[in-house]
Amino acid sequence: MFSGPLVRVLAPSLFLLALSVAGLGLPSYWQYVLALSVSAAVIGSALAMLVGYARCITIATGAMLAIGAYSGTLAVLRFDVPFLAALLIASVFGAVAGFVLAVPGVRFRSHNMAMVTFVFQAVVIIVLRQSKSLTGGAEGLQVPVPHILGFSFSDDGHFLVLCGVLSALSILPLVLLLEGAFGKNLRAVASNENAARAFGINVNLHLVTAFVWSSAVIACAGAIMAPRFRIIDPDSYGILASIFALTYPIVGGMSSIWGGLMGGIVLRALPEVLRPVADYLELIFCVLVVLTILFFPQGFASMVPGFARRKAAKNVGAGEPTFPRNVIEDKNMIERLAAPATSPEPLGRPLLRITGVSKSYGALRAVADVSFDVPHHAIHGLMGPNGAGKTTLFNMVSGLTLHDQGEVFFDGMPLSTVPVEARIGLGMTRTFQHAAVFDKLTCLDNARIGIGRNGIWQSTIRSAQWALSLRQASAEYKAAMGALDAVGLAARAHALAGSLSLGDQRRLEIARAIISQPKVILLDEPVSGVSIDEAESLRLLLITINRELGTGIVIIEHNIGFLVSLCMRISVMSEGRVIADDDAKVVVNDAHVRRAYFGERETAA
Amino acid sequence: MRTKFMKVGRRAVIKSIATGLATSTFGVFPRLAFADERQGVTDTEILIGGLGPITGPTAFIGAPGRDGIQLAIEKINETGPINGRKLRLTYEHAATPAESVAAAKKLTENDKVFVLVLASGSTGAAAAADYVRSAKIPTYNIFGATPIIREPFARNIFHGSMPDPVVTGSEMVNEIFKAVPNAKKVGVLAGTYAFPQANLKAMTPILQKRGLEVVLEQFDANANDYTAQLVAFARQRVEVILVLGSYTEAGFAIKQAPDKGVGDVAWVLDGSGTNDAIVSIIGKENSKNLWGYYNAPYFPSQSEGPIVNFVKIWTAKYGQPPQGRPSLYDIVSYGCTYVMAQAIKNAGRDLTWSSLMDSWEKLHNAKPSDLGGYDVIFPETVSAADHQGNKLVGPSRIVDGKWKVIP
Amino acid sequence: MISEFVMIVVGGLKMGAIYSLTAIGIVVIHKATRTVNFAHGAFVLCGAYVTYGVVEVLHIGYWAAFILASLAAGLLATVLEFGILRPIRQADSFAVITATIFIGIGLAEIYRLVENTEMLAVGGMIGGWPLFIGDAMITREQIAVVVGATIAATFGIAIFAYARFGRGMRAMASNPRGAVICGYSSDAMNALAWFVGGAMAGLAGAFAAPSTGVSAELSILMVTAGFAAAVIGGFDSLKGALLGGLILGVAETLAAGYVSSAMKNAVSFLLIFVVLLCRPQGLFPEAKIRNV
Repeated sequence: MFSGPLVRVLAPSLFLLALSVAGLGLPSYWQYVLALSVSAAVIGSALAMLVGYARCITIATGAMLAIGAYSGTLAVLRFDVPFLAALLIASVFGAVAGFVLAVPGVRFRSHNMAMVTFVFQAVVIIVLRQSKSLTGGAEGLQVPVPHILGFSFSDDGHFLVLCGVLSALSILPLVLLLEGAFGKNLRAVASNENAARAFGINVNLHLVTAFVWSSAVIACAGAIMAPRFRIIDPDSYGILASIFALTYPIVGGMSSIWGGLMGGIVLRALPEVLRPVADYLELIFCVLVVLTILFFPQGFASMVPGFARRKAAKNVGAGEPTFPRNVIEDKNMIERLAAPATSPEPLGRPLLRITGVSKSYGALRAVADVSFDVPHHAIHGLMGPNGAGKTTLFNMVSGLTLHDQGEVFFDGMPLSTVPVEARIGLGMTRTFQHAAVFDKLTCLDNARIGIGRNGIWQSTIRSAQWALSLRQASAEYKAAMGALDAVGLAARAHALAGSLSLGDQRRLEIARAIISQPKVILLDEPVSGVSIDEAESLRLLLITINRELGTGIVIIEHNIGFLVSLCMRISVMSEGRVIADDDAKVVVNDAHVRRAYFGERETAA
Repeated sequence: MRTKFMKVGRRAVIKSIATGLATSTFGVFPRLAFADERQGVTDTEILIGGLGPITGPTAFIGAPGRDGIQLAIEKINETGPINGRKLRLTYEHAATPAESVAAAKKLTENDKVFVLVLASGSTGAAAAADYVRSAKIPTYNIFGATPIIREPFARNIFHGSMPDPVVTGSEMVNEIFKAVPNAKKVGVLAGTYAFPQANLKAMTPILQKRGLEVVLEQFDANANDYTAQLVAFARQRVEVILVLGSYTEAGFAIKQAPDKGVGDVAWVLDGSGTNDAIVSIIGKENSKNLWGYYNAPYFPSQSEGPIVNFVKIWTAKYGQPPQGRPSLYDIVSYGCTYVMAQAIKNAGRDLTWSSLMDSWEKLHNAKPSDLGGYDVIFPETVSAADHQGNKLVGPSRIVDGKWKVIP
Repeated sequence: MISEFVMIVVGGLKMGAIYSLTAIGIVVIHKATRTVNFAHGAFVLCGAYVTYGVVEVLHIGYWAAFILASLAAGLLATVLEFGILRPIRQADSFAVITATIFIGIGLAEIYRLVENTEMLAVGGMIGGWPLFIGDAMITREQIAVVVGATIAATFGIAIFAYARFGRGMRAMASNPRGAVICGYSSDAMNALAWFVGGAMAGLAGAFAAPSTGVSAELSILMVTAGFAAAVIGGFDSLKGALLGGLILGVAETLAAGYVSSAMKNAVSFLLIFVVLLCRPQGLFPEAKIRNV
């Protein structure tokens, strides 16, 4: 019961509430400080979403606080709006601001995104400062004492409780999203964007949503605290405010909302506690952050044992992963599986029809006029020397790269109209050449993402379903465990994907690719760098999937023996063109293929 | 290599931070709730609370503020206890409004000081003032000029050497006409931050009333390139340029002016511009046509009696002054502390907030020499209706590379 | 009217040249080590501070200031790289970026604690009669800064393109393992890149000191301007950084002159924004498109 999802979701809010109520025993000055800290906890939580989960550097926190503070205050001052309604208004303004910032912002990553947020921050402050008639300009705006239903919150203790309640409420949606599917998707995006997109996660949409939610909450926090500052002026919300807000998730802990929360509480109270050394305060902060990055890259929260359990690669049931059970058990089945099937009759419309696809990078023709068909339920191999264009072709089929010419038809539908994120919905999944697991997520979560249903709306709903322990959530859990079991990783379900060996990561990729029972899986060098035994068990697994589930497989490999023992037909590419496309055994003996691969020359007869 | 590095470092860092936090956070909290009339006064001691920015871009206000008060308190204590009590200062850093409210609360409710001194500019002082209006503790605003601190009127707030912007604004307009007797067009170069904007707001009606046409250009805090603004002034052929900004900002503007075609205008500076360090920016030869005002009767570099002695005792306590110190803020905080001490003394042995405020409102020509200090500020007179201690301003010019008050 | 325009443009070029030098330092470090250095402004401050010491305290000429300022800032940069950034070099870019942000602020704070004054004024480089182009007056100082900074910047570009260690740095940036195999030392190259980048910043500080004085705010001012210039020019192009700085300086002053003096900063930010939106690769795109 205690680790139930609902408790996990409610815990941060309850903590803030309890902290505020406990603070009633403190003298008034410390109540004031505690209220500041609680508000900072909210900011830290919102930044945990952006900075910790989504790994977006934002230097616009000050601007968001200002937007909330000013809009809330002006609503009360100019329009006589009641305080609580003003908070809602402030949150809406914050959400809109987050949207306005994010739409251009998410086109970039890393330092360019930081620049965009910086521009936003600077422009907002300048606008606030210049709009003297509205905001009072540089001299500031006097903020009235908050009233709710006639009750005036001028006393420190009363305000502390009010702040606690409001803060607890405002972080609820954040925690719900972060602990659920939405948060997992954000982590996936931060781990590997291409893999995320291939499994239905619209990266930009997720990032924009993260910005919108966190900005709304930050603005709300700004509006809540404004009355306590008596006067709000643009310079209080300048770039330094943004930079120091960044310290909350960085020092507190990047991997969970608790990190941002605790970071906010401690770091906001620190200047009050360190008053004797106020001269050195900013320097101390800077040193603290740099030390944290050097020695505690996961933040201080990672030092607390309770949190460590989430991050530690626990070897639950250490030892070699078992072979897929349902295959080994049946010896007859092994014999049957050892021999690959001959090509099945084509069932009318092919599953995958590639016609005349080309792609050039400048003068380099990576893929030149490639055409071949893959029927339903087939296992089709794709081989060729390095640089032949195989992975580029895969990227075009899966949608990560746009072809210059030609078309790919999936079950009759032209794919150029279908974005990457939608292809999992059609029934196409893939693995990647360099194992693209979501290293910051557990194996279980990796598999769960493979189920699909990763659109924004769906991931929000799934987060709620998980929190309320609804049936869908446990169905997902069962499916994920089943997929992990099929690849032999059930024992490592709660281990972080990043801690797995390469071979296990490839298995995990396959689990993620099969869980949605797709029509076709695209496998990019699944056994490269893997032991012979592993390769064999993977081969058996793939054959089982193909037989039992009817899943088509298109596989790129260099291991020719592997391909021949697995595939029905093989296409061979060289220098961007298809030079052979036939039954596996035939292709391997083809002279052109041998020349392209091995450089064999015709021996004199 | 990295993990070992991290492990050793981690432990050391954790230990030191944990001990630091534990000892400072979990000290004993006094359990009393609110402030009261007699707090901060013991049989032998009176606790004075001060707040102002000692780091950050506005540190040039709060750090000298603290230093001046501390110097004055030591000297006062040397001359003799005030009605049997010595003075003690506890000072808190506060720059933004949020920090100012926190500092004021801490001093009033936690440290339980008897009287608060605001050594803060503009927004910080305004926020603290808003707080003290409800806390009712006697508060001495020694630097803040903006109107927000003065309105609405509060019985417990007193103002020191810096008069409100209308007074200083009128003086600046006087300087304009002193520099160019029949001036018609004045360029106003104003910073976009709080203090200059407050001055601008107060000055604009005065300028218009005196029949001057105003060309307004602005700049962001700490700007150092005034090409565009100066070119605009040149285009409009202004006769006088009024700078509302710090001496660094004014200094750069003046320095760049000759190249932009405004070489022979007169310059009128506000209180933050009249600082000797401006000469090192513009060069002695360019400092001929500078006019301004000063909030004290003497500049630190003048050679009249009281100020020379002041610099002597400042140097004796704080060592060789860095560039720009002692500044106006040192002088004012020193002198105002004497005024405050005088008010405390006149309140007698039975010291409460009411008795202090009564006594303060009766101050007439209070000056530091009344308690053995040096008369480096204008004397202060306060009444029940008017809590502005000083309304005088000292017209100033640069003579021989140094500012001088020319009464 | 024209003379006004000329004066505004020249004024803008002067600050622009300083921005260019700063931006080049940032880009050199990024090209060679893939690190985005937000602490760059502190290096400029270091250079300016040393210039103050040399010119105002020790009363040695400006030539000494240029040399000493670049050396000092270069050394500071190298020490930083060695001490703090090397251990986290393997970490993700996020950690490095945030570390540099806070190192920059920390260094500026240290300066503020050491030199407890608002601003230290530094005398001009060259006095003497200004030049006249029609009605427009151009001071020798302006010419000296524009020409000097541009020369320094071009020199930096040339080093990177042609000298042996320049090639080594570029090799290290595009293929670290390959470069190591070819005999270049990864550690040495990184240290060298930071030294050159820091030296450029120090030089920028030396040029800036008379115009801006030495203050802690200089650090933030220069890092934001330098970054803006680098973004405008295309973050990986040295030529772009040079041009970007000049464009930024002129655009700022033009905006202040003809739009509104209060909007000067706003314009430079909007310029960054427009460039990022419309042409994110900047003026001289050099990044290569990578396959999945």
